[in-house]
Amino acid sequence: MRLFGFLRERRWTPAVGYGLFVALLAAGYYYNVTFVQLGLLDLGTRLVGMTETQVSVWMAALALLTFGVAVATGVTMDRRGWSADLLVKLRLLFGVVALQTVLTAGAPAIRTVPAFGAWIVAASVALGVGIPASFGLTVDLVPVEDRGYVAAATTALAYFAANVYPLDWSIESFAAIMVAAMVPGALALGVLASGRVGPANRLLAGLADQHEEWGVGRFCRPRPVRTRSVAFWGPVALMFGVFFVDSLGFLRIVETPALVRGAWRSPDFADHLFLGVVHVLGALVAGVLYANFDRNWLFAWVFGLFSLTHLFYTTDVRVAAWFPGLASGGASPLNSAVYAVAVSFYTTLNFALWPDLSTPDTVGAHTALGVGLAGWVATFLSTAVALYFEAAEVTLLSHLNLVNALALLLFAGLVAAVYLRRLVAAAREASAG
Amino acid sequence: MTDPVELLPLLVVVVLLLSLSGERVEQMEVVFEGDREITEIDDVLVVGGGTVTVPANENVSGPVYVVGGDLRIRGRLDGDVDQLAGNVTVVGTGAVAGELRTIAGNASVAPGATVGTRTTVPIVQQEPSPAREYGFLALRALVLALAAGLLARREPALLRNVGDSVVHHPVVSGVVGAFTGATALALFVFMAFTLVLIPVSLFGLAVGLLTVAYAYVAYGYLVGRALPGDRPDLAAAAGAALVVVAVDLLGRVPLVGTAVQFVLVATGLGAVLVTYYGFREFEPALADFPE
Repeated sequence: MRLFGFLRERRWTPAVGYGLFVALLAAGYYYNVTFVQLGLLDLGTRLVGMTETQVSVWMAALALLTFGVAVATGVTMDRRGWSADLLVKLRLLFGVVALQTVLTAGAPAIRTVPAFGAWIVAASVALGVGIPASFGLTVDLVPVEDRGYVAAATTALAYFAANVYPLDWSIESFAAIMVAAMVPGALALGVLASGRVGPANRLLAGLADQHEEWGVGRFCRPRPVRTRSVAFWGPVALMFGVFFVDSLGFLRIVETPALVRGAWRSPDFADHLFLGVVHVLGALVAGVLYANFDRNWLFAWVFGLFSLTHLFYTTDVRVAAWFPGLASGGASPLNSAVYAVAVSFYTTLNFALWPDLSTPDTVGAHTALGVGLAGWVATFLSTAVALYFEAAEVTLLSHLNLVNALALLLFAGLVAAVYLRRLVAAAREASAG
Repeated sequence: MTDPVELLPLLVVVVLLLSLSGERVEQMEVVFEGDREITEIDDVLVVGGGTVTVPANENVSGPVYVVGGDLRIRGRLDGDVDQLAGNVTVVGTGAVAGELRTIAGNASVAPGATVGTRTTVPIVQQEPSPAREYGFLALRALVLALAAGLLARREPALLRNVGDSVVHHPVVSGVVGAFTGATALALFVFMAFTLVLIPVSLFGLAVGLLTVAYAYVAYGYLVGRALPGDRPDLAAAAGAALVVVAVDLLGRVPLVGTAVQFVLVATGLGAVLVTYYGFREFEPALADFPE
């Protein structure tokens, strides 16, 4: 890792840049997986009085709006040169964090559907601007060689924290912890982005030019990846599949008490700590793999892990159907552990992949399209499909079976595609030679 | 209620026994809890928990498997009883027309009760004798030494590639080995639960064990390189034998020894995998990344 070299040489400025990146991205992701994904459901159902289906429809709207705003922001950033300007990105992020702080503090007071809808629209704007602005920092703060490890650290931190605190999935708990963390965070970001504080300016001056050396991503050498190319849309399609499989499966698992009682909804802190530690280990493994193997291997591992975890879940459900006496035992902790590893794997990949498919001139649009389309639109679609399944009264086993089949299909398809590509290349070499 | 985790493997065994005997598995009735008196068995009855009683003066036909809980026979059972765990009691008025076969668990037959045939499968817990233990160790050392010598003579590049990966990329090798080993093991165990995939599962486990053995051979090659002498094949063979003995000795050190064993096996396994069993040198994706 180049970080160790910086520390040995006492070059503190780039080292602080690593810390700043991990802190910002981990905090943003923690906010997303706790407050947005879990807190809004509680707010909508318990305080506003909507059904889970109605909240899911609003969540889908949030996903689509976020995608739209992210793409508009990313394209604007690239066209105006903001993607290569660290100060502008920090100012955008300061605006995002300030707006989110106000929205977060006010969320527990919402009691009507129109207010909930207005909140969703405002939150979409903040999230949409935040995606290219935050992911775009990679080109300034993280050298290409270390992106896998830094992505792993970010994932580990975000998921460990999300699993161990808070255990109570209520909007009040989430809002209290978020506001307590966001107020000092917003102040620090404000100082950094103001351009009027000497030490902060010196730090920024040291970091601002790093993109000239570090900005061109791993997959953009020797030639940059163009937005309208298979090299870009291939990974988008694969990551879309990953998010879709994860979301479609988890939406049903989290609604099945027997499957989450001993895991994400366990009253026992030890279960949460176990999942947090598994997330950390999974992220570290993913970081090592990302730095040492081709990205397709990591995708294959993610699909393989999702296939495995859903195979475990469907086996449990089948055993419960065959032997009802065994059903009261709930799901094995192995299921949620493998699930956690799969999630850590693709989250690490998600943090590192889009900047590595970009240069400082394209990182805004590429991260917006990548994260927005693969992450948010996939979530929107999977929510819609899950709602359809619910309306069609699809059983738990059939639902998880379909997710398992999709994961297996993507796994087999990817392996076959990679093999075929190598086969074609070998055949061309042979015919040319 | 019986712990499901303990019960499931026994149920799998029952399903296997039923399949072997040509019974229809889908007609199996399993009792997990509560007190029940039975007067009829549809096809096969499995007692997994609770108490099942054949009442006095009743005549019930069909095979019964006991994997947990209690089976009390007060009347007549026209069939066999296979006991894998739990308790079987045949009281003075009771009768088992077929065979009462006890593999594990407690069985008691009161005086006056009749049992067609009663067999107990003896499970003798043998203390491993030092001769057998050391003999097996010597056999493993010999086999792996032969393999190492042969490979070092005929295909030294294979062992060199795996060894280089262990030496130069221990973190990647260890991570890949630990991760692949853990997921593959879980996958093979679950495959076995499907019954139809038991052969695939056994095949996978065998391949896994052979891969670990190959890693031992590669370690032997590495150790052999440090040994004096000008015969690489002999050095590799001696190295493999030394590795087998050293890893075995490590296992006798509590906790730390086992942890070191795990790290060695995981790293070796990973090195074998990332080098495609030694057919390729491992090159990290970012190895020649321009600064």
